[in-house]
Amino acid sequence: MRRRINFRMSGLGGQGVVTSAHVLATAAAKENKYAISNPFFGAEKRMAPSESYCRIGDEPIYDRGELVYPDVIMIFHPHVITLNKSYTMPFYSGIKEGGIVIINSTIELLSDEHKEELEKKNVRHMNVAATNIAKEVAGTELASNMAMLGALLGITDIVTLESMDLAIQDRFGKKYVASGGTATLDEAIKKKFAKKEQLLKKNLETVQVAYKVGKEWASTLKELVLA
Amino acid sequence: MSTAKSLIGTKNKMGQTIVDIEDFFNDKLPKEQHFMTGSEIVKEAIKRASVDMSISYPITPQSEAAALVGELWVEGYVKGYFRGEHEFAVMSQCAGAAFGGARVFTTTSGPGTLRAYENFPMWSGSRLPIMLCLMVRGINTPLSIQPDTIEMGMLLDTGMLMWHAENAQELFDYLLMGYIVAEQPDIHLPIAVACDGFFVSHTKEMVEMVSKDYCIPPYDPYRAPVPVMDMETAPMRIMRDPFVMKSNYISYMTHASWQLEIRGAIERSRKYTKRLMGGSLIEVENGDADIIICSSGTAISQGREAIRLMKAKGMDVGLVKIKTIRPFPDDEVRKALENAKLIVVPELNISGWMAKEIKSCIDRNDRVLVGPHVAGGMTMPPEVLMEEIEKEIALRKVA
Amino acid sequence: MSTNIIKMSEALADIMPQEYKDLVERSTYGKVDRGWRDIGESKDLIETHSLCAGCPESLAFRYIMSSLPNPEDTVMVGSTGCTSLVFPHIAVHNIHSLFGNQNAVASGLKRTLALRFPDKTKDVVVLAGDGATVDIGLDMTLQSWFRQEKITTICFDNEFYGNTGGQESGLMQKQFVAKMAPAGKQFDKVNLPQLAIDSGCHYVAMLTTSKPMRVEKVIRNAIEVAREIGPTYVQIYTPCILELGKQSHEGIDEMKGAEKKGERFEFFEYRTDQAGELIDKNDAERKVRKDAKKEARKKAKETAKA
Repeated sequence: MRRRINFRMSGLGGQGVVTSAHVLATAAAKENKYAISNPFFGAEKRMAPSESYCRIGDEPIYDRGELVYPDVIMIFHPHVITLNKSYTMPFYSGIKEGGIVIINSTIELLSDEHKEELEKKNVRHMNVAATNIAKEVAGTELASNMAMLGALLGITDIVTLESMDLAIQDRFGKKYVASGGTATLDEAIKKKFAKKEQLLKKNLETVQVAYKVGKEWASTLKELVLA
Repeated sequence: MSTAKSLIGTKNKMGQTIVDIEDFFNDKLPKEQHFMTGSEIVKEAIKRASVDMSISYPITPQSEAAALVGELWVEGYVKGYFRGEHEFAVMSQCAGAAFGGARVFTTTSGPGTLRAYENFPMWSGSRLPIMLCLMVRGINTPLSIQPDTIEMGMLLDTGMLMWHAENAQELFDYLLMGYIVAEQPDIHLPIAVACDGFFVSHTKEMVEMVSKDYCIPPYDPYRAPVPVMDMETAPMRIMRDPFVMKSNYISYMTHASWQLEIRGAIERSRKYTKRLMGGSLIEVENGDADIIICSSGTAISQGREAIRLMKAKGMDVGLVKIKTIRPFPDDEVRKALENAKLIVVPELNISGWMAKEIKSCIDRNDRVLVGPHVAGGMTMPPEVLMEEIEKEIALRKVA
Repeated sequence: MSTNIIKMSEALADIMPQEYKDLVERSTYGKVDRGWRDIGESKDLIETHSLCAGCPESLAFRYIMSSLPNPEDTVMVGSTGCTSLVFPHIAVHNIHSLFGNQNAVASGLKRTLALRFPDKTKDVVVLAGDGATVDIGLDMTLQSWFRQEKITTICFDNEFYGNTGGQESGLMQKQFVAKMAPAGKQFDKVNLPQLAIDSGCHYVAMLTTSKPMRVEKVIRNAIEVAREIGPTYVQIYTPCILELGKQSHEGIDEMKGAEKKGERFEFFEYRTDQAGELIDKNDAERKVRKDAKKEARKKAKETAKA
């Protein structure tokens, strides 16, 4: 595994893209890895492009801001690719040699040109039905980001499921500082569940189911992930 | 450091034990690790800062921090708090609170800084030790809410102390240290503790801190070198005729000597700041290298990453980080850059004010590469920084 | 402030300026029921003024300083303009910082003094010209009222920018020709007293400074209501004799003319029910003290006779 892995997550406002980066970084920090995460947004709006970054490594991380050269790209919404709803165009720009792209989609969205570009850099891409998994397991599409994280863990094992559980508890288990839009969604998801414990449980289950999907896909790869 | 010693070791109303500022940074007290955003770190620092009054106004990216300080008011850690109508008013409200003897905290960003601008020289002229946390952002037009340090360049001559935190850890440390230095009777000046918006304010990272059961000593307004406007001391007739009525030498002299004294106070702050910052206002790494990256804030963070990349390629590049912009560490910078052949000054602004500051205090200042610059919130990838340095090396034929 | 604070050290008494000695020996800090009648019998809290000879503003300043109910615990906030030329001579703490920010400064100050001295009454009084109050500082004036800051705002209305040489201001009369209004002002005098009422002031008064007793009552009411209830506003006509081309002695006549029935400075007073109750209560208490004093004087006279 590389000494530093940079994750770029692109999606639409309201999908939990920023939350994902923060949760992933928190999980890494729980394992005493070096980690930082930060969001990138213009005006904070539902359905507007939203991007976040997470950097994890085994030495101090100084790099800040927009991630121009990611190892892993996670696409939370098909519109990022089909409508260019993204801060970074094309969505794979800057991806490092041998990188990974994880796309929340049930169908193949990449054009031949996209595939060719990714091929040149030896980048693998995986489609995962994250929203479907979220609906099936947690009963809400608001858990799509958990499914995306699950798939990521299945592929990379960047953090353990136990650390992810702890990070999810940190984020949803106690009072959290959030902007208006995020706070409203937090409320919405809390209402879905009778108890906070149930919310935490369902989130983790979603991660676990997607984790298996990710693992399975990774096992089809010939070479080591992010070698 | 000289503070209201008599209170050290006693508890405040929130049950916090009042400790000497130095105990926050030595190993006397147990430390906690928190993985938090810069905004949350501001809340943690202010929780331990015995703040009397905080006034806020929304502007991205400082809104979150300002709102969190409001929660501290509800919790009881900050005694007074409200939202003002705009930054000009907010900074005047802060002035009113400081004139009345309060320890004051406020935050702003980019356009807010400029909206408030007239207040800053008034703060320093009135010797009000207000803490302003600047979470810097681009200044219009076109609109940008992303990090850009140009507002710091515009604050250089306001008579305020100005420090630049590279990350959330330094932000935490500087907010606490800042009060202690700014409130010294022979300093007593406002202080801007700047950090780069989003890159620090919205970035989660690990920060080490003393538990919230401890706080720094409260402000004692009667140690101020100017009277507190609370009618607890004798009012005096300030002058026979207001200076503005005297277009003569005495009025010019008064203004000039008062302003000189403010500059003198900025200079005097070095001794306190150095002591708290571990002996130096700069940080030097691999200072013997021919090529040195010299700047402040997250431009330096990007420099560190670039150095790592260049090291992997066998290049030897050093680093000089400037922690305090006012006072500017002239002597230390001059000495640290004495033997450098190429001095690279990356900045997150279009003007290159940092390069000008560095150029003005070293000799043979053609050694300075003014740049690279990014502006309006653009990221400076270490790969780009490295590329620019490689180009410059080839151009200048530096070994 | 404890009035003890102004007492001199005996060792230094011989080098203290006369004006300070006077302040210690004959000023009215701490006196109950101060008023304009103390002028001449005691040391004023205004030493002198740097205004034009005969300026009605200097008169207003003297009356106001003699009418502050609690000068030993009053802090004043001024702004840029002719008033800022007088403040250096005032024997209460006062702040001049910038132009137009007076109500913002006062807001922060008042809240801080309330925090620091929970067991004391600290009055904060803003005194600024019409440019500061109505033009450049209007938002901060109104916002401090919206927020129900417990401060008194006094506006010296001379109907233009006097200190900079007579330019148009928001409180100038319509069609008045002035600098920056070469064809005459195009819009009406801003009705700030009405705005004050609508913005939440609990006591509002408009007057001139021709009648000292009226100034005394209004200032006292405004400060006492602000202290207990919320923001108050007082607008006083202080004509600029210089820019109006008047002689030094003509200021009073100008004010008397402007306060006639139907004129723009006809005496106006507004009080909310709550403020009215407080004012009536304070007046009743004052009357009891006055009667007791009268009675004591009478008795003393009788005793002396006997």
